[in-house]
Amino acid sequence: MTFLKVCFLIFVKDLKDEIRKKENILASLFFGLLSVVLFHFAVDSTEIDLSKDGSGLLWLIIIFAGTIFMQNLFKKEEENGTFYALILAPVDRAAVYLGKFAVSFLFLLILEFFLFALSFFFFNFPVLKSFFWLLLILCSINAGFSALGTLISSLTVNQKGSFILYPLLLYPLLFPLFIAAVSLTQRFIKAQLSFSEPWLRLVILFDIIFLTVSSLLFELITEE
Amino acid sequence: MKRKLVKWAIIFSIVAFVFNLTALLMVFGYAPAESQMGEAQKIFYYHVPCAFSSYLMLFVSFVFSLIFLIKKTEKYDIWAWAGAEVGLVFVICVLVSGTVWGKSAWGKWWVWEPRLTTFLIIFLIYFSYLLIRIFGKIDSKTPTIAAVLSIIGFLDVPLVNRAISWWGSVVHPKKVSLEFEMKLTLAVSLISVIILSLSLLLWRVIADERVKEKNG
Repeated sequence: MTFLKVCFLIFVKDLKDEIRKKENILASLFFGLLSVVLFHFAVDSTEIDLSKDGSGLLWLIIIFAGTIFMQNLFKKEEENGTFYALILAPVDRAAVYLGKFAVSFLFLLILEFFLFALSFFFFNFPVLKSFFWLLLILCSINAGFSALGTLISSLTVNQKGSFILYPLLLYPLLFPLFIAAVSLTQRFIKAQLSFSEPWLRLVILFDIIFLTVSSLLFELITEE
Repeated sequence: MKRKLVKWAIIFSIVAFVFNLTALLMVFGYAPAESQMGEAQKIFYYHVPCAFSSYLMLFVSFVFSLIFLIKKTEKYDIWAWAGAEVGLVFVICVLVSGTVWGKSAWGKWWVWEPRLTTFLIIFLIYFSYLLIRIFGKIDSKTPTIAAVLSIIGFLDVPLVNRAISWWGSVVHPKKVSLEFEMKLTLAVSLISVIILSLSLLLWRVIADERVKEKNG
């Protein structure tokens, strides 16, 4: 079976399962909605204009809600005891990793569209300025976030206390991505984005490094 | 192997003691006081070497983590763990000396200065490494998780540094011009702290091997 076909089959399998069960995506979306409403009460809206200064808060919600989804990426394999079957399948393990990566990438994108739309609705967040730039920011951030999120998720499979371990492992590693996401969104709001933007280059570098390293490490950690 | 390690650890410890004594004498007796900060500037002679040693130890952890993942041999995991732990000690030294420096130079205990903030984030990454080691002491998968964290964490450091530099204002002097006496003192303290970090690394490995031997 070719590499891409394996990726695609894993992607479709997880997508179908998620559409059937809906528990992960619904939990993430509801958490997002809850957090957006809570943030209204967390800041003094007469002092802070969330339509201008809310990008940091929005990305915090995305990271937390994204975690809910991503830490369960290998959950069904864990519950059914099929994780080792998946790993022992005579296919390239990097393809398994990339299939899972694609699922988390897609669901993060859905979550982000939902949250940006909510922010537009509640706080008049200027999301409609340029769809192209918004999509570019979201995709570039998602690639790095999903790369590390998927790897850490595979590491904590069958691990006692994986719910505590997951954020503990992931959040410290996401600092550069988070800072870049906030900066890029702030520039997006001010319509100051261009292709020569250094933050964009930093994010792309992050994506390339961690997508490559994570797929290589996935092969090594599943060798046992 | 262990006997050889103990021999090297003793040699490194003695050399570290002699060098550190010399470095301290030079810091307080030979290097001139800086005109603006006065005696407080002397923190610099240990702040910079601690930063350098922490990077060195985290690099040791990175290399051994990688070898461990490839070869799956426990002895490399011991070295990786030791490197991360000793590295974390030096990261804490950098943070503490940095805050003391900040208080005397800028009048505040904490300034969101890029290099110091980078060390705060390195501290967070490797503290989570330590927590995972503590939580999963008897779990067979813990060394693998820790190795991945050490590799990704080390690769993350330059990106963290870049991101923080672009985010915040630069308070650290870009280029420091030092007098000859200051340069010489810095060189001696640098060597002394590096040797100290290597001796700590060796003792940490020996301690871990002794525990493993005892537990069978």
